[in-house]
Amino acid sequence: MTTPDGTSSADLPSVRLGEASQRDRRWTLASLFSWVVALIFFAPIAWIAMSAFKTTGQILSVPPLFIFQPTLENFTEMFQDPKIPKFFFNSVLLSVGSVLIAIAVSFLAAYSFSRFKPPGTDFLMFLLLSTRFVPAAAFVIPFFQLFGILNFRNTYVGLIIFYVMFSVPFSVWILKGFIDGVSQRFDETGLVNGASRAHVIFRVVLPQVKPGLVAAFVFNIIFVWNEFLFNFQLGGTDTNSIPVALFTALYQGGAVNWTYVSALGTAYVLPLAVLIYFFQKYLLVGMTFGTVRGEV
Amino acid sequence: MTEAVIKSKQPELIQGKTGKSAPRKAKSRFSSNTLWSGGLLVPVLLFFILMNVVPTIWMLGLSFYDYTLTSAKGMEFIGFDNYTRLLNDGPIQLAISRTFLFMVLAVILQTLLGALIGFLFWRADRMPGRRLALTLLFTPMVLAPLSSGLFWRLLLDPVFGLINYFISSLGFEPVNFLTNPDWAFTTVLLVDTWMWTPFMALMTLAALGSVPKAELEAAQVDNLSMWQRLIHVIIPYAKFIIVLGILLRTIDVFKTMDLVYLMTNGGPGDRTELIAVGLYRLAFQSFNLGYSSALAVLLLFIAIALTSIYLFVLNLRARKELKDQS
Repeated sequence: MTTPDGTSSADLPSVRLGEASQRDRRWTLASLFSWVVALIFFAPIAWIAMSAFKTTGQILSVPPLFIFQPTLENFTEMFQDPKIPKFFFNSVLLSVGSVLIAIAVSFLAAYSFSRFKPPGTDFLMFLLLSTRFVPAAAFVIPFFQLFGILNFRNTYVGLIIFYVMFSVPFSVWILKGFIDGVSQRFDETGLVNGASRAHVIFRVVLPQVKPGLVAAFVFNIIFVWNEFLFNFQLGGTDTNSIPVALFTALYQGGAVNWTYVSALGTAYVLPLAVLIYFFQKYLLVGMTFGTVRGEV
Repeated sequence: MTEAVIKSKQPELIQGKTGKSAPRKAKSRFSSNTLWSGGLLVPVLLFFILMNVVPTIWMLGLSFYDYTLTSAKGMEFIGFDNYTRLLNDGPIQLAISRTFLFMVLAVILQTLLGALIGFLFWRADRMPGRRLALTLLFTPMVLAPLSSGLFWRLLLDPVFGLINYFISSLGFEPVNFLTNPDWAFTTVLLVDTWMWTPFMALMTLAALGSVPKAELEAAQVDNLSMWQRLIHVIIPYAKFIIVLGILLRTIDVFKTMDLVYLMTNGGPGDRTELIAVGLYRLAFQSFNLGYSSALAVLLLFIAIALTSIYLFVLNLRARKELKDQS
């Protein structure tokens, strides 16, 4: 990959003119329009974030209020509800726990696929990718019954195992791509010089695919953080994550509690936006399930 | 800059090819390699069998049974009856053709808009605060569709929603976007476009980034018009990634469920019932496990077919790159 410092624009076609010109930011017509487009796409989210600082009366006001006295009441009220920290805890535990396991097992498999090419490699890679292309609803029934038999419903173990498999296809694809990019010479030199295979895998190859590990980690976290259907069907009050909390807020009682929804929604979106800002250079490989590499 | 992940064509490990007559040392190396290659796969295979193979076989099995949770009848083996029923099921076929319509409209709309926006950002490569602007642009596509649906319900509310405020301040009647049969499909399509146009913009940016800089400079030196540059220089290089983006969007439309489920739950009537929503409703609202599994198997086959097409294009690109290198 490229720039280790992560400047997103350093690799653009016309910016390779030298150090000085990289700082040469310009307001052109194109950059002005680009900003307008970006703001238009973000406006709906900004409106929700604004609503999070309004009272119920202000949210429901006609005409909508653009200028108002912001209040933090929604957030303080939200975090006083003991269920909310639990939802956040579940989201973090399920995503981080499962993704760490998924990356560990995927790295090993990706190394094997890349270096040994065991028979059926292409077929397995194909199957892995296709599992991510099936509508989630197709698999809900068998998982629901299977989890009933295994006593996995509403348990962290069950959901983490599920999310490991949910994260494996993308991790294997992305890591195989990165390991393919590390020359076999490294492995051969290591082995010829008497290093063990384990040493080659963990001390020689692993350090060279760090960007792949980071990308796999960040985007799997996002995917698990966002997953709704299986958490809703297989989880329960002990293991539900934030999307389920948003969903149930909608159907609690008659009217929607919009202050709650917008405060929780804002708290849920914020980490995602921060991740996108800091890991923008992995966005492409992340959103294409590890099949296309490059930067924007 | 941008490269599809290439199936590397590096020479096979020599040890792996060693025949019978090889010295003892090479032979032990051979078995150790086999051991490693298999051993490293064991954890992933365990997860894969437990969490993919078993549920898939389960699903296949269920699809041959008449099994409705709410009926007292229990399970009854009926062979292919669920599948023949699928062939004659009007609402399901309608949902499939509606999904295709949605797919075509969504993909065209998002590709064109995304290409335009991607091109704009490509030209504005030195804009101030580019990274922040891209973050704002890309945020809609990383939100859970569920939360987007929820957010848009607030924005589209006929009474206090922001969108209707703009519409009525322009002098039009407020529209009940999600419950009006004339509007619901369009509304869902537009919200989907809001979510996924940034993705096509991302793919366009990557595609434009894959055009060699030397070629672009040469075109500039030759004084080609922007249009000529687009046709003769940019598109030949950029098309691969754009096609991959279009395919990924196509696949995703088949998966679109959470967004619709939350905004309209397929309604009003069946106006927004895409196939994944229909499947979910079949399984969890009418509890018809056997029949819904048959539909799930059908969607599984569609997904496998689409994956094959996707990988075919991906490999096409990889092969071309290898040829270009040699």
